Amino acid sequence: MRKLVIAVTLLAALGTGPALANSLVSPGPRGKIARSNMSVSPAGEWNRLSLKAGKNVEVWTLDGPELNKVTFYGGIAVGQPLVREVNKKNAPLPRVSANMLITDIPAILETTYRAQFNASQITIDSQEPTVVSGHKGIAFTYFYVRPDDEVQRKGEAVGAVVGDRLYLVTYEAPAIHFFDKDESKFRQLAATLKF
Amino acid sequence: MTAGAFLRAGLVAVAISVAAPAVAQEKTGTKPGFNLKPGAARIVLMRPSVHVGAQSTGGMYEPNADWTARARDHITITLKEMQATLGNEVVIYEEGPGPDAALATQYGNLFGTLADSVIEYQFFKGNRLPTKKRHKKDFDWSLGTGMAGLPALRGADYALFVNTYDAYGSLGRKALQVVGLLAGVPVTSGEHRGYAGLVDLRTGELVWLNADRRMGGDVRDKDGAEKRVRQLLEGFPGRPPAQPIQPARGEKGS
Amino acid sequence: MARFLLAAAGVALLGAAPQRAPLPTYSAAYEPRTVDERGMWMEADEQERRLRDSPLVIRDEGLNRYVRGVLCRTVGEERCNTVRIYVMEVPAFNAMMAPNGSMTVWSGLLLRVQNEGELGAVLGHEFAHFELRHSLRGFKKKRTASDVGAWVAVLGGLANTDTSFIQLALIGSMFKFDREQEQAADLLALQYLDRSPYPSSAASELWQHVMGEADATAVGRGRKPKQRYTAGFFDTHPTELNRALTLGALAAKSGHGGDAAATAYRAAIAPYLPLFLKGQVGLNDFGGSEYILSLLAKNSGWNGDLLFARGELYRLRGNPRDLVSAAQFYGEAIKSGYSAPEVHRNLGLSLLRSGRGADAKAALTEYLRLKPDAADAKTISSLMQN
Repeated sequence: MRKLVIAVTLLAALGTGPALANSLVSPGPRGKIARSNMSVSPAGEWNRLSLKAGKNVEVWTLDGPELNKVTFYGGIAVGQPLVREVNKKNAPLPRVSANMLITDIPAILETTYRAQFNASQITIDSQEPTVVSGHKGIAFTYFYVRPDDEVQRKGEAVGAVVGDRLYLVTYEAPAIHFFDKDESKFRQLAATLKF
Repeated sequence: MTAGAFLRAGLVAVAISVAAPAVAQEKTGTKPGFNLKPGAARIVLMRPSVHVGAQSTGGMYEPNADWTARARDHITITLKEMQATLGNEVVIYEEGPGPDAALATQYGNLFGTLADSVIEYQFFKGNRLPTKKRHKKDFDWSLGTGMAGLPALRGADYALFVNTYDAYGSLGRKALQVVGLLAGVPVTSGEHRGYAGLVDLRTGELVWLNADRRMGGDVRDKDGAEKRVRQLLEGFPGRPPAQPIQPARGEKGS
Repeated sequence: MARFLLAAAGVALLGAAPQRAPLPTYSAAYEPRTVDERGMWMEADEQERRLRDSPLVIRDEGLNRYVRGVLCRTVGEERCNTVRIYVMEVPAFNAMMAPNGSMTVWSGLLLRVQNEGELGAVLGHEFAHFELRHSLRGFKKKRTASDVGAWVAVLGGLANTDTSFIQLALIGSMFKFDREQEQAADLLALQYLDRSPYPSSAASELWQHVMGEADATAVGRGRKPKQRYTAGFFDTHPTELNRALTLGALAAKSGHGGDAAATAYRAAIAPYLPLFLKGQVGLNDFGGSEYILSLLAKNSGWNGDLLFARGELYRLRGNPRDLVSAAQFYGEAIKSGYSAPEVHRNLGLSLLRSGRGADAKAALTEYLRLKPDAADAKTISSLMQN
């Protein structure tokens, strides 16, 4: 019991203490994104957040993740969830499966958001076939509301399944003003995406 | 790393996290080169988010309706008076029912998210974003131009958002703090934070934001509320120096 | 008040008096009196202001009027007429009532109850918390417990002793108090039901479903089902089994019958069923969702909405055998007259993943024929070319 209390105290201290700093992403080619073979070549500066949403997940932002957020899922293997499960016992997440179709990519994102972020309102909007880094993939858009801030957000993403891995990059921002403001910067990233 | 070393590292982390809040609790950002428009500016005060309560010995927030109502009145009146002396007219946002109310709420939610982002990712180090650090002098945040379309904002120049949160330490909490000092268990008593922000309705830009994680002024009485509003308005943008200040049209002390 | 009711109910349970205990006198225009109470009302008013404009609220007058009607028939016109009801799109089992008289009902509750009687039992239970002004009592008790906890932590620092056990015991007292309140609310809700057109057995039946779903969720996630006979330390609510048994016994004693209005309930909920089912399927709770679907089907038969949702559930889990089952459920949905074009799309996608390319192509073609300008038309066409 005592050990548990100490552990909890330590965790609390580490949680509130100075986190690992966020780092600058300079323009130009950048590889090994999300600890994977993913690479992009941003035209402008971005910030890479120090937060770790999962082993092969990396988050970039311009003004803070609540205002504009690009998430790289770098080759999530079959049997793995998109992000680290915060409550494995009571809210397990859907997993990447071997015979996924491109239409299952928006579906796994939707279920992950419903289960992990209590996003009770999420709608996949448009879906278009596309070619991502030479692979057959999908480009799609969506809307969602998280109950914690009730800000209506829009999302846009490109993804593909290559071998037994899922590659996905999403862009999310408030539907008012922010989504349109930075959409072209996301599209520029997506256009240079390689994996 | 042995368990002991890990524990020591943890204790250092505790020490740092306790010491860190001592510096830089207040911060103001203004869009470079921004001045209020010449002449009397019409500023709409969006419904202020005011929470005043007590902090029980155990640290629980106890909302107090009387304190909150008094604080809301004091803050609103003081804001009007102070802006009147600057030659500005402050009008209270009138909310109508229907879809406009829902849109106004979305803007309110978005402003809260925006202010939190400025505070978290530009004002205070820790999570500060490198791009915001490198362009320290820049203050480039916006809500977009759509907000000006809300019926209640027509004809207005600026929208002012005010947010305060006060939890006054109860007697028990203060006693606990003193004993905690002796026992080496850090206990904070009371929590007073707030921010105020001004949006230029023509451009949608956030032209000024002032945030304070340790505010002064007891909002429960008139004098204290005046001190608080003065702190909230610190760094409030002025007019170009050549511009003579026009006397306010609004009645004083209403 | 709560203790009094418990005692009163205890007497009734022993069979001492066959007649119904009178309802407490209700004052509709209650205004908060103390500092704490006024503070809580103010916070509730602020929250209701946000709720009014929340994007998560289902703004449908018909649905709202219906839910209000069930509440009114349960607690009576005098009690219900000042209540404001907000139905929210949240797929979990919950309803709550704030001290200022605003009631929030989650869509997950509407999906789970089988008739007006069960819905009335839950709404009546929440109303009973409100009438007994429990949130204030809970607040005071919590403050006392957290005050003591803070002192124990600091004094423990002085004495350098391990105080963690004492702290846990104090936290336990906070939860236990809530449990007493839950029991008091259950009993008052039962008194409402006794005066309503609904049978008093509705409450107990609902808790049996809740237990069944919890077990199904556990099994679906590879855990052991466990319905405990005694309340666990951290359980805010009385353990469901206790609750079902106690409420069942009390209902039997009261013997109050009535029509639970299952048919009327199904008809009223039908337009929202697809939305509610979509939210439930998205929770990634295979066992629990399957339980809910079976329960609904037991009462209404496997209709198109339920079959389509079941297909979705299996397709999302996506094991090879699940895809075969999903295709079968979509097929049955089509046979039963389910007409949304998406059923052909999802049938096609399931078949495609099962390696049945020709059948898949036929289903997807049918989808595109029914919905040529679908937002995913190009994607579906591209899948057919593979």
